Amino acid sequence: MVAITNAHNELIHDAVLDYYGKRLATCSSDKTIKIFEVEGENYKLIDTLIGHEGPVWRVDWAHPKFGTILASCSYDGKVLIWKEENGRWSQIASHAVHSASVNSIQWAPHEYGAVLLAAASDGKVSVVEFKENGTLSPIIIDAHAIGVNSASWAPATIIQGNNGGDGKNVDELRRFVTGGADNLVKVWKYNKENSTYILDDTLEGHSDWVRDVAWSPSVLLRSYLASVSQDRSCIIWTQEDNEGPWKKTELQQEKFPDVLWRASWSLSGNILALSGGDNKVTLWKENLEGNWESAGEVEQ
Amino acid sequence: MVKLAEYSRTATFAWSHHKIPYLITGTASGTVDANFSSDSTLELWSLLSTDTNKPVTSLTTDAKFNDLDWSHTNDFIAGALDNGKIELFSFEKNSDIPSLKSISQFAKHTGATKVVRFNPKQTNLFASGGSNNGEIFIWDVTKLTPTTKEYTPQAPGVPLSQIAEITSLAWNKSLAHVFASAGSTTHASIWDLKAKKEVIHLNYTSPTTGLKPQLSVVEWHPMNSTRVATATGADKDPSILVWDLRNSNIPLQVMSQTQTQGGILSLDWCSQDESLMLASGRDNTVTLWNPETGKQLTTYPSRTNWCFKTQFAPESPDIFASASFDSKIEVVTLQDLTNELDKQETVSKQSESEADFWNHVNQDDQHTKEKPIVWNAYTPKWYGAPSPAAHWGFGGKLVRIAQDGKSVILEKPNVKGLELNMELND
Repeated sequence: MVAITNAHNELIHDAVLDYYGKRLATCSSDKTIKIFEVEGENYKLIDTLIGHEGPVWRVDWAHPKFGTILASCSYDGKVLIWKEENGRWSQIASHAVHSASVNSIQWAPHEYGAVLLAAASDGKVSVVEFKENGTLSPIIIDAHAIGVNSASWAPATIIQGNNGGDGKNVDELRRFVTGGADNLVKVWKYNKENSTYILDDTLEGHSDWVRDVAWSPSVLLRSYLASVSQDRSCIIWTQEDNEGPWKKTELQQEKFPDVLWRASWSLSGNILALSGGDNKVTLWKENLEGNWESAGEVEQ
Repeated sequence: MVKLAEYSRTATFAWSHHKIPYLITGTASGTVDANFSSDSTLELWSLLSTDTNKPVTSLTTDAKFNDLDWSHTNDFIAGALDNGKIELFSFEKNSDIPSLKSISQFAKHTGATKVVRFNPKQTNLFASGGSNNGEIFIWDVTKLTPTTKEYTPQAPGVPLSQIAEITSLAWNKSLAHVFASAGSTTHASIWDLKAKKEVIHLNYTSPTTGLKPQLSVVEWHPMNSTRVATATGADKDPSILVWDLRNSNIPLQVMSQTQTQGGILSLDWCSQDESLMLASGRDNTVTLWNPETGKQLTTYPSRTNWCFKTQFAPESPDIFASASFDSKIEVVTLQDLTNELDKQETVSKQSESEADFWNHVNQDDQHTKEKPIVWNAYTPKWYGAPSPAAHWGFGGKLVRIAQDGKSVILEKPNVKGLELNMELND
């Protein structure tokens, strides 16, 4: 166990390990992002990234094939892209198409390129691709009335039956999920003809703000989504073979003791970590009967 | 989005207490529409509908409205009518289709009814204030059925001095028997229904004019039962005053707007964050204040006439509505930052040919695109609430934020029966 005490002066909103588990990025209400190097039981502060003008809500590492790149989003309405080169961090791009707080960001599966998904309180989500010679114009969609709280990519999925030989004629099923202040969870799908994302499904089940959505990263025949809400519940949504209706399963019948803020799937996809307003982190797994049961609680 | 809706009406309004709120609007008294019509309607709007010309449902009423308020349980809407009556409406939502019905009307005020306010604690009660003799009545909705013939509302008790017109009422947010009133006098009044009398007078001498201005608006602190705000209705030196009733001689905080001048007609202290207060009035603008620090946070784009009512959506305070006498009710978001797309638009506009410019010139567009001025950035409480956000990483490691909110813990939780699986896959 490694404990980095007083990493920031004000509340920390997110802490994420990079692809290799060697670097940790944290972000805070103090408007900064910190990069730590973690080795065994030891850690070292590498840099403090300054540039946001408001609390920084989330950070996300790009796939290492694009370099050592981090994205961050803030109440200031901006997404900033940071890069490390020869041990030095600098801001390399700014994505400012939202007119209110950007509440979540996530890099797409690396197969799609350096593509970032951002969700904002202006009710929109934006998808932007960063290229060597600058960014392409972003795709912006109206996603949820009164604000989007979270968005999460589906793992890269190849649709069966296509020529998969050279990888060029393969059809990808690009999807992501969003959760909003309209209590809804929405699934979006890329539409090649219009070069935009269209609404694929609207999932109703929560009675209050959806605070976080997480699409399980494992590529299985069944897709798993977790949504957590201010209504103190977590819903697992499943879909067979990437099509058809989504099946709704309440993680547990009774309400959680407090608002649920975050959901995270383990990289192998089968353990879900939930964090709530009562400062508890609980772990969940699906049993052979398809029910969700506790896999433990993390001690404070 | 940012401007979520604009309803082309001169009307007063009230928000419902739903998470995705409804807005009820009622034709404002003292205004004449383009057809010189004297008709008055009560209309219900859904924020999820993009058609801002067609309400979800509507009712025709006998008289125009001075005020509207929605009960905290969402079942009732009270209207203060210009003809002195109080009208009570019921709101029902059966299988998602909402309906409005008039339940009853009562003529108890001797002049126009100016204001109605539901009690947030004892949700069946509401207070009404009238234009004559400082009339205030307390009503109980459980006794106002369609068959009620006779009903006598309760009077709040003995005033400390003569009051003429009541224009503002506010219930204390924690004590159900305490409310405040303000109107055409230089003092605001605090009433205690248990003691059956007015218990405190608040008045203020402006240091710039040396005069006691009229205190026209009152509003309570969302949590602190002894804290109340009042605002001056006079155009000279308009100020918002925050008082602690434990020392009612001088205000705790005086907030004066320096950019514009015009009496304040409306105050709303955010129920979900005591550091946010909306004020609007005769300067045609809506201003967001931090009444805890006295700092002005944001000035929203000006209208072309007085903004007589401004209110947060109580359960979705990221948005607020404001009504002005230029036939507009606007629903907007608190935050409206200038982004790259706006900048690009400005650039493309500047490169427009003269002919193109005159073809597209439109006053309305200008107002829509105008951005609020942020004087001091403030992040509302309902954003990024403390949570031990946990994230899985490589090798079954879990990163989480510790209980103090300022430390980070990396560990490998022991998940029974799954250790092997995780090692192999991650």
